[in-house]
Amino acid sequence: MNNRLTNLPVYVVDDDQSVRESLAFLLEEYEFNVAVFSDGQHFLDNAALTQPGCVILDSRMPVLRGQQVHQHLRDNQSPLAVIYLTGHGDVPMAVDALQAGAVNFFQKPVNAEQLVAAINLALENSMQQLDKLASIDAYQSLTEREKDILGLIVAGKRNQKIADELCIAMRTVEVHRASLLKKFAAKTVAELAYIYGVLHS
Amino acid sequence: MHWGLWLSACAVICSAINPALAEMPTDSVSSQRGAQRDIVIADANQPVAVKMIDVAVLATRGKSAARHRWQPTMTWLESHIANSRFMLHPLTLDEMANAVEQLKVDFVITNPGQAVQLGRQFDLSWLVTMTSHTGESQTNSIGSALVVRRDSPYYSVEQLYGKPLSAVASNAFGGYLSLRHHLISQGFDANAFFSRVRFLGFPIDASLYQLRDKHIEAAVVPACLLESMVTDGLLEDNYRVIQSRSPAYFPCQVTSELYPNWSFAKTQRATNELAKQMSQALLAMPAESEAAIAARASGWTSPVSLLAIDKLYQELNMHPLHLPWWQEAFIWLDDNQQWGWLLFVTLVLLNGYHFWLEYCFNRNKKQLEQALHRLKHNGELLEHAQRVAIVGELGTSVAHEINQPLAAIRNYTEAGLLRIAKQRPLEDLVPVLEKIQHQVERVDNIVQRLRTMIKKHAAEKKFIDINQLIIDTMELLDFRLTKLEIPYRLSLQTSLPLCYIDPIGLQQVLVNLVTNAIDACVSAQHTDVTWQPEIVIESHYQDNVLTLTVSDNGIGISAEQAAATQAFVSTKTQGLGLGLAICRDVIEDHAGQMSLSPIAPHGCKVTIVIPVSLPQ
Repeated sequence: MNNRLTNLPVYVVDDDQSVRESLAFLLEEYEFNVAVFSDGQHFLDNAALTQPGCVILDSRMPVLRGQQVHQHLRDNQSPLAVIYLTGHGDVPMAVDALQAGAVNFFQKPVNAEQLVAAINLALENSMQQLDKLASIDAYQSLTEREKDILGLIVAGKRNQKIADELCIAMRTVEVHRASLLKKFAAKTVAELAYIYGVLHS
Repeated sequence: MHWGLWLSACAVICSAINPALAEMPTDSVSSQRGAQRDIVIADANQPVAVKMIDVAVLATRGKSAARHRWQPTMTWLESHIANSRFMLHPLTLDEMANAVEQLKVDFVITNPGQAVQLGRQFDLSWLVTMTSHTGESQTNSIGSALVVRRDSPYYSVEQLYGKPLSAVASNAFGGYLSLRHHLISQGFDANAFFSRVRFLGFPIDASLYQLRDKHIEAAVVPACLLESMVTDGLLEDNYRVIQSRSPAYFPCQVTSELYPNWSFAKTQRATNELAKQMSQALLAMPAESEAAIAARASGWTSPVSLLAIDKLYQELNMHPLHLPWWQEAFIWLDDNQQWGWLLFVTLVLLNGYHFWLEYCFNRNKKQLEQALHRLKHNGELLEHAQRVAIVGELGTSVAHEINQPLAAIRNYTEAGLLRIAKQRPLEDLVPVLEKIQHQVERVDNIVQRLRTMIKKHAAEKKFIDINQLIIDTMELLDFRLTKLEIPYRLSLQTSLPLCYIDPIGLQQVLVNLVTNAIDACVSAQHTDVTWQPEIVIESHYQDNVLTLTVSDNGIGISAEQAAATQAFVSTKTQGLGLGLAICRDVIEDHAGQMSLSPIAPHGCKVTIVIPVSLPQ
């Protein structure tokens, strides 16, 4: 298993202590980095929301319901991936959760293997989400000129051609190209094009 | 005498020709109307025409008495009218009316009562009125006497109310009507007085003989009958007349007013010429003549007014010209057709209105019944919904409560298995198992808490009438029983004492048991079409022990099912299995026992035995 992933935090948010602790016990046995919270607000206040990771949410909790916590995460563009684990699930609730971007939706009691698989998937998604969010940040920090040049680069045009179209010096285009690669942490134009694709998907 | 013999033969022939006259005496009247019979007797040389004249007379005291009284008058007339032969016909009231109507007679002699009755219906001309020996111009000598035995205790009219008494006939003048009119005009209750009257008819002597023989307490007879009979030696002088009011000139005792004497009248059959001769002959009759003495008259005078008698009939509502009320109503209707139609239309409308009201009433009643039915149905639905809701709520709550520790246990077991898979040392499993144990304890706590929660509040016991409770409970279930067409029978012991029990709990038990019985019957209905369901509820009390049984002939139970009275065990696919458990709790709370037993061929009987304490 990828080390980078297992080191990511797995948050368990459940108002029921026995469920919370038993789940933590189980997941620690699977060598996840587990942190537990007894309610949604406590989790939102204390967890590293901007970092990748996975949160296992109970649906029916006092203070904040699972869905509300999920909504808060999305509103704040948190990279954290969400797995629902609830005592009272039904189909509409599951559909809503998945449409809102949850990785999976489980009913208690849950099969450990399925849960672990879902957590791994969630952590992976979370990493991707982090990258995507970073790319979005980078894209939004570009000047208009840089966005134009990025679009032309991704379209596969050469520097000379870009300089001609935009009526700027070829040198300027080269400087921008290097700057763009750096900003998107891309090594090649192909990688840059991939990120661009992800951003516009 | 040749012609006399001949006449007899003729009379026999006439009787044969007209059977209606057969009851008449041999000197009968002719059946030929309107024509005078002129009989020509074939004498040797010259034929002589003899006029046959029929005279009807009211035979109040019998026919021979009448003939005795009036025959001399006939003789008197024959001797004064040339070539005439007078035939006397003594008749009763009805015969007289009949004879006048059919013109069978030429003349009539009758009392003033009938004179008016006949005179207002038929064409009669009054020729003369008889005078009495009473005074110069006094013709009033007809009236009623109310006679009692001299030694009787009666002195007033009121004393005779309701007593048996006799009168002549309901249309007799002196023998009934004049007294009746007198009593009414004097303010007496004529109906009470005549409540036990017997009409004896002619001859009127019979009334006084009945009085003499004490068959009756009083007799209503024409005035002077009593005196006349005493004079003739027919009666002893042992009688008196109640409330006698005779005027000074009148020799007889009389109770009523006095009315004009008998009169002589001609019918249309007699000619005016003959009538004139008759009148002259009668008016000429002297008081000392044989005819006058026999007729108990002092002679004859010109006819007197009969107005007093007209008035009497009018006041008695019997005047011959007075039409019956229904005839008058027809005449009125004929004259006032618009009102008649209005009345008719009103009647039709009222009838229609009546039927409309009845229709509305029936419709409302039906609607009310339907509303009641709906109400009961809705009540049933609501009760069912509530039951489902409560069970649902409880179930959800219990499921959630238990699911949490179950989830935790699962997590721990998975972790434990993982540790085993990783071949961790056994002591590493200890914390896992401890945690599992901890969760099991939690589940146990939940179950305990649930039990405490479900346990109902302390039952409120009081003294109640068990039979009434059963009847009330069956009323609650009546709707369902009726809907499912399941009859039930109550076999309740009368004079059941008041029992100290928890009525709500016992009612719950009964509802549960009867509901079970209903369900058993409904299930059995699917198996046999000819089978008739029945539920029987019995109550019995003896020696401080109350026994209630609920039996049905439904699908019944098996022996092992009979033992299954714990909660959440049910033989029904849709049941929760709570019913019998609740019943058992309630019965145990009363220190009683409940048992189920199957009955043959199929069915189930639940017996509840409760020891009860009675009010001191």
